[in-house]
Amino acid sequence: MATTACFIIVSRNDIPIYEAEVGSATKREDAAQLHQFILHAALDIVQDLAWTTSAMFLKAIDRFNDLVVSVYVTAGHILSICGCFIDGIKFVFLFLS
Amino acid sequence: MDPANTPLGKMLLDEITPVVMVLSTPLVEEASLKNHLSFVQMLSPFCSFNNIDVPVRTASDQPYRLQKFKLRLFSASDIRQPNLEVAKEQLKHFISQAGDKDDMFSDPPQISNLLASSESEIQPSWFQFFNKELVRTVSFSEHEAFDHPVACLLVVSSKDEQPINRFIDLFNTDKLPSLLNDGAMDPKILKHYLLVHDNQDGSPEKAAKILTEMKSTFGSNECQLLCINSSHDGPVEPQDNPWAPYESDVSPSQCVGCFLNIDDSNEIKDLMQDLSSKHIIPYMEQKIRFLNQQVSATRKGFRNQIKNLWWRKGKEDAVDSPDGPMYTFSSIESQIRVLGDYAFMLRDYELALSNYRLISTDYKLDKAWKRYAGVQEMMGLTFFMLDQSRKEAEYCMENAFNTYLKIGSLSQQNATRCGLWWVEMLKTRDQYKEAAVVYFRLCSEEPLHSAVFLEQASYCYLLSKPPMLRKFGFHLVLSGDRYKKCDQIKHAIRTYRSSVSVFEGIMWGHIKDNVHFRIGQWYAILGMDDLAVKHMLEVLACSHQPKTTQELFLRDFLQIVQKTGKTFEVLKLQLPQVNISSLKVVFEDHRTYASPAAATVRESLWQSLEEDIIPPLSNVRTNWLDLQSNSKKYKESNVCVAGEAVKVDIEFKNPLQIPISISGVSLICELSLGSDDASSSTVELQNDDDFKNLITNRDMSSDNVSFTLSEVDVLLGGAETTVVKLTVTPKVEGLLQITGVRWKLSSSVVGFHNFESNHMKKKNAKGRRKSKHSCSDNLKFIVIKSLPKLEGFIDSVPEKVYAGDLQRLVLELRNQSEFAVKNLKMKVSHPRFLNIGNQKNLNSEFPACLERKTSSDPCCVGDSSSSLSQNVFLFPEDTLIQEGTPLLWPVWLWAAIPGDINLYITVYYEMADVSRGMRFRTLRMHYNLQVVPSLDLSFQISPSPSRLHEFLVRMDVVNKTSSESLQVHQLSSVGGQWEISLLQPVDTIFPSQSLMAGQSLSCFFMLKSCRKSLTSEDKISTLSPVLGSDVGLGPEDSNQPLFDVSSSPLADFHHYERLHQEMSHQGDPNAVDFILISRPLTSGDSERPHLFSHHACHCRQYFKRKPNIVASGWASDTIS
Repeated sequence: MATTACFIIVSRNDIPIYEAEVGSATKREDAAQLHQFILHAALDIVQDLAWTTSAMFLKAIDRFNDLVVSVYVTAGHILSICGCFIDGIKFVFLFLS
Repeated sequence: MDPANTPLGKMLLDEITPVVMVLSTPLVEEASLKNHLSFVQMLSPFCSFNNIDVPVRTASDQPYRLQKFKLRLFSASDIRQPNLEVAKEQLKHFISQAGDKDDMFSDPPQISNLLASSESEIQPSWFQFFNKELVRTVSFSEHEAFDHPVACLLVVSSKDEQPINRFIDLFNTDKLPSLLNDGAMDPKILKHYLLVHDNQDGSPEKAAKILTEMKSTFGSNECQLLCINSSHDGPVEPQDNPWAPYESDVSPSQCVGCFLNIDDSNEIKDLMQDLSSKHIIPYMEQKIRFLNQQVSATRKGFRNQIKNLWWRKGKEDAVDSPDGPMYTFSSIESQIRVLGDYAFMLRDYELALSNYRLISTDYKLDKAWKRYAGVQEMMGLTFFMLDQSRKEAEYCMENAFNTYLKIGSLSQQNATRCGLWWVEMLKTRDQYKEAAVVYFRLCSEEPLHSAVFLEQASYCYLLSKPPMLRKFGFHLVLSGDRYKKCDQIKHAIRTYRSSVSVFEGIMWGHIKDNVHFRIGQWYAILGMDDLAVKHMLEVLACSHQPKTTQELFLRDFLQIVQKTGKTFEVLKLQLPQVNISSLKVVFEDHRTYASPAAATVRESLWQSLEEDIIPPLSNVRTNWLDLQSNSKKYKESNVCVAGEAVKVDIEFKNPLQIPISISGVSLICELSLGSDDASSSTVELQNDDDFKNLITNRDMSSDNVSFTLSEVDVLLGGAETTVVKLTVTPKVEGLLQITGVRWKLSSSVVGFHNFESNHMKKKNAKGRRKSKHSCSDNLKFIVIKSLPKLEGFIDSVPEKVYAGDLQRLVLELRNQSEFAVKNLKMKVSHPRFLNIGNQKNLNSEFPACLERKTSSDPCCVGDSSSSLSQNVFLFPEDTLIQEGTPLLWPVWLWAAIPGDINLYITVYYEMADVSRGMRFRTLRMHYNLQVVPSLDLSFQISPSPSRLHEFLVRMDVVNKTSSESLQVHQLSSVGGQWEISLLQPVDTIFPSQSLMAGQSLSCFFMLKSCRKSLTSEDKISTLSPVLGSDVGLGPEDSNQPLFDVSSSPLADFHHYERLHQEMSHQGDPNAVDFILISRPLTSGDSERPHLFSHHACHCRQYFKRKPNIVASGWASDTIS
């Protein structure tokens, strides 16, 4: 099955500082903006949730149809890294210093 | 909080109430239609009771009193499932109407305002109505008993023939609702007989007679007489019209209920009250008690339960249809459901709940999913009304919702109703977030309904605590898209516009672009082009979008603009981007520039060059008064001269990947006449509005001729950055201010950019910065009277020359104005390279003019040395440059060393007419030379073995050029004390007589010292080169004349070369200078004769030096 994923790093004050569209699915024309909408809206949930849990990785906190949003929140909530996926691809981070 | 007082409670008390079926004859309808009302409509306002106060005793022995009660009246033809398509059409029509009422022009609400207002204020009021209508689309389903008529009201008019028979016929026709005929409900329902008498038809005596007849036939309790249309005075407008809600159905000229006077109203009211309290409620009580007994007998108790379970298990292989098995009214399952619904309607919720629970498991076991879902739904509502176990209530609602959805599309409407009740339940408990999720789940294939649900969901997000604004915005956008799909553009715009305030200022480019682009597009569809353009402008500079999207945005934008046929003027148009920091202003006050390149040279460089020739500033001032005013004014603004262009360079950047065409780029300027008007000089543009006014003012007075502007057309390729060169030429004196730049995008949209306001912003953002002041002042000029201005250039300066190349060039100075200039001075930054010649050189032939004359004329030597000492060349005092007669003056260019050489030349001149604003001006010229190596020259001097005063000189020459062949012409020793001569004949030295590229050559000379007095010679050698001795190296037979190395310009260049080379070692009286003169064998351009001279200075014995440059002095390798 075709997969799609959008990966965005968001800094403080909701400023996206990195965006990547990955996945093998044939790109829908408006995929980029739909993903932005979904991830931007998911920040509302992140905002609530980040204070209630000590976990940094918040799995499947929000969904829109078959797109699932998982978030990684860094310490101090300085950055949040969102991804939204079809078909539950594993969320793998490579941290490069 | 009492559940009955919540919105959902009120809704339930309104919707789940006993239904009364009305069967009436046509004459009854005719009588009521005089009031423009149907009979049902006439009765309906009196069916709702707030204080009926009826004692009720249901299953338990304890009676309770019922206060609120309502009957729902339907004519028999309406008691059927509404047609879904018709209902949809009606809803669509209704939504379109609601959209038309929207105000498209007002500003969308700000998010802070929204947060401060309550739910009812922010939500469009028609949502409530929409939801109600949706709930009604599933009424009269056979799986729910609360919509089944409890009673039947048979109505016959007193004008009807044989009224008794009519009563009987009414119920026996086959026009009864299918519910009764199909066996879904008990056809033996409560019947009530009503005789209607129209008072306009005469006195009610005949009616009374019929009534007695009726009473004897149907029983005295069940019959009643109703007299209507008692108002004899013709149509009247009743006060407090209870039928006002029906007014919208008729034309405004007709008055609803016009023949019904207060007596009629009271009579109807009494009738309905009587019907409710004396007939319907007791009947329901009775039925509840009866059914309860029945249920207790068959289903209650351990034995019955086991039996029931056993019996149902046995039925497991029954048909698995979505509706489950058919249940007739007489089945125990239907009876339990009726019992539950009746108990619910009489508000005995405990009894209702226990029965719903009982039947729920039965339906589940029977896999009668629709009935099961219906019961679950009712259970949820009962839990809610009991205000206990919230969790269970929600669980039941969710279960019902999911079960309806599971059945398939047929039950979609039921799911919708269930969802709407569920949402209300969540809202009542302030669970807005969950409510929003339910709204989202309500979205179905029907896009219009989905749109409304999504919009309601968005408001739920807004109302949740804390408000989820991003979700609010997102769902508004989703909703807008669906509205658009259903061609509800006005609604689409409304939702998108509300979301703008959420997405304002965020950095998520795709979101912003999408919102503004869609709004723009939709406004354009509606023909509201101004607003469309306003929103489209926001998306133009979308550098983050892919190329196709950029093209789409730009194309749509231009289409809209073209459609309007107007020329839009847009402040700070983002296409292209104007780089304000790149703003560069070049203007000419007393400093003028011969070429654009000269203007880019650092001012400090020019200043150091001009130090000697510009009179000190104090000379300009005449008295202290003048001094003050002048200096102040001049400090504030720059000075420019009328008729001379002020050049502005500004960088335009195309943020897109597609090319854009820009035309008519020009500056926006303001020229206030009369520079002494102090107030005008202090006027500053406070904001953009002022700026806009300025623009329009300027446009209106387009015949303004006080200045001229240049217009430039540019085609900017994808992501290209171009520096646009603009000029403004003031024509009259005054105060000129450059305020901004304007351009036309694709010849349809005019963009402006204000230099100043942008500037202010930067200032605010970055705090105080000194440089600001100077920059803003850069754009203000005092225009003074037109002045003569010299234009000058050196004719045909080569870009690339060989080292040692000596050329004669001509400096041409022109004066375009009618006023003459005088007192010319000139200074060159590198006199080693460029030397000013003598006027008489101009016409003589080069290089013949350098040849040694037989009657030598050494006067020029003295001339040049005097001017050289000051480094400033003074033109003869009588030089006056007039209009039309250019001054030509020869200059000598000699490429001293290889490398990249920048030559700066400045010409100072004074106005012949002192009264003009400025006394002097300077002309600055700049040239760049590339000098490549040619001959590499070195000398070795060794003492002659035989004679004390003679030396052997070995000369090594290497031709370092790539292709040029050079003919060595002459070697000269400089200074009188040396005499040079050949050791061998020339032919033996230069068999080929030329040096090919890359060829090297060594030859020997004899140098003889003829020094007499050491002191006198010393003096001469330091002061100026005196006559030296020359050796011709050309072919002997040609007998070419030798060049005079002791006259200008060779002597001058030699002087500088000596000075330069002296730096590295002190002057030694025993040192000797050589000059090798050569000529190219094949000159590149034949028109211009070339001469190469290479100078080797301070050559001496016993000294070691490292070669550093070509043609410089070489000491010999010491022989010792």
